[in-house]
Amino acid sequence: MTQRRSYAVGTGLFIVLGFAALAYLATQTTSVANASQGSSYVVETHFANVGQLKTRAPVKIAGVRVGSVQSIELVPGKEEAKVTLSIDDRHKDIPDDSVATIFTSGLLGDQYVGIQFGRSKNPVKEGGEIGLTRPAQQLEEMLGKFFGGGSAPDRLGGTFHVTGEFTNVGALQPGAAVKMAGVPIGSVDSVVIKPGSSEATVTLAIDKRYSQIPDDSSAAVFTSGLIGSQYVAIQPGGSPEYLAEGDSFVLTQSALQLEDLIGKFLVNGSPSDNKSGGAQGSTQPDNAGKK
Amino acid sequence: MTAKDDNVVIRSLTQIGACGLFLLTILAAIPRSLRHGRETIRQIWFVGAMSLTIVMTCGLFVGMVLGLQLYDVLSIFGGTSATGTVVAIAIYRELGPVVTALLFAGRAGTSVTAEIGLMRATDQLDAMEMMAVDPIAYVAAPRFLAGVVALPLLAVVFCAMGVFGGHLVGVTWLGIDNGTFWSNMTATVDVHKDIIDGVLLKSIAFGIVVSLIAVFQGYTTPPTSEGVAYATTRTVVASSIAILALDFVLTSFLI
Repeated sequence: MTQRRSYAVGTGLFIVLGFAALAYLATQTTSVANASQGSSYVVETHFANVGQLKTRAPVKIAGVRVGSVQSIELVPGKEEAKVTLSIDDRHKDIPDDSVATIFTSGLLGDQYVGIQFGRSKNPVKEGGEIGLTRPAQQLEEMLGKFFGGGSAPDRLGGTFHVTGEFTNVGALQPGAAVKMAGVPIGSVDSVVIKPGSSEATVTLAIDKRYSQIPDDSSAAVFTSGLIGSQYVAIQPGGSPEYLAEGDSFVLTQSALQLEDLIGKFLVNGSPSDNKSGGAQGSTQPDNAGKK
Repeated sequence: MTAKDDNVVIRSLTQIGACGLFLLTILAAIPRSLRHGRETIRQIWFVGAMSLTIVMTCGLFVGMVLGLQLYDVLSIFGGTSATGTVVAIAIYRELGPVVTALLFAGRAGTSVTAEIGLMRATDQLDAMEMMAVDPIAYVAAPRFLAGVVALPLLAVVFCAMGVFGGHLVGVTWLGIDNGTFWSNMTATVDVHKDIIDGVLLKSIAFGIVVSLIAVFQGYTTPPTSEGVAYATTRTVVASSIAILALDFVLTSFLI
């Protein structure tokens, strides 16, 4: 009989253990765990773009989870998303001038709302709004800021020729566009290596309408989009003198290898820590680096 | 059971058909067998609780090796924060139910087959019938029922240990942030799709299949020592194939 009793006890223990493990898995390792725990209060935010943000995504302050996204809806008649955040009652002291930003955990991770504290003494109220927001950064836009983009120009009227020497022109071809401020102003006439030189000499045919290019401007070889064709971008300098027929650029920037760029992006492209950035991210990369 | 001159196809079909009929017999006998509830409990103890050690150990190691491998691969993409998520999903949807069922077939299925097979070989089953005790209700059904109950519970324990192992390697050893590990997991893992469909439904189906094969092979074994040996081997082989094939079919329906 004691033998049988011990079987029953052991079996009971086993079944209880099984159900305990099931309860643990179901409540602690699944989205059920993200359902509201304890009391919380609601704060409203408006984003220009929520990216891939989903309901129940975490809300974090300094990386610590303090709540979750309760709802995401489009503001009627506006190109704007209203995101309602549900924040734990324990975290009542969020300044009302804090900045809400949509971040991505890692490059491929899920998106979450990060709140960066402002300097105001007044905490945001129940049902209040965090006014300053930064939208989700679209990878395409960020990359687009690195690379220019556009098509080759029509050649109108006469042109004048200037040259530039590049250590590396990448895949630049004659006929490629020449752009200033993103606007096509001419085309590449020829890409040659002069005898005795190790640098490529690129001759640019620039429309006469755009003759007022300062002579200390720099020329750089850029790529349109990720896999687009390469073009020459001219960044105007500040000199009162203008480039004339036959002149050459003093400052040039060679073609950047995509691999280098992506590498830089991955290393430096994490979301800005600039708290004073306000509603608009001031993360426009400076791609005018001169050689 | 089968004529020697039948070819492989006929023999297999006969086995499958006999197995199906045997399942119906067992199901019909379950109400009667529940009158011997203690026997079912003893069997749950034997096939379930006694398998806990192997299941927990294996779960821990499977979780640990998953954590290690995924960390290694995901670090290529800078996505190590997803380690917890992938460990949990891989274990819940596939490894938990499948590996537990394979272990269960090896640990409990074989002993059930050998036990019933020996009963058959030593004429105990016939003796029961002589005493008007239905061997299906008293021997087969409790073991079948015990397997169906025990396997889902074991699978859940396996999963819990697996996640724990993944946490052990990922967070404690390799230094993934604890909060990231859990929050990414809880953000992605779904109760219905991963726990109920993944762990429970699959492991109940595997429990039915493995228990049925084990009991059937034991019950229909040739009454010789050689026959018992073959039956035990067949339990493992047939169970493994059935588990993996059924896993694919179930997954294609559930996903």
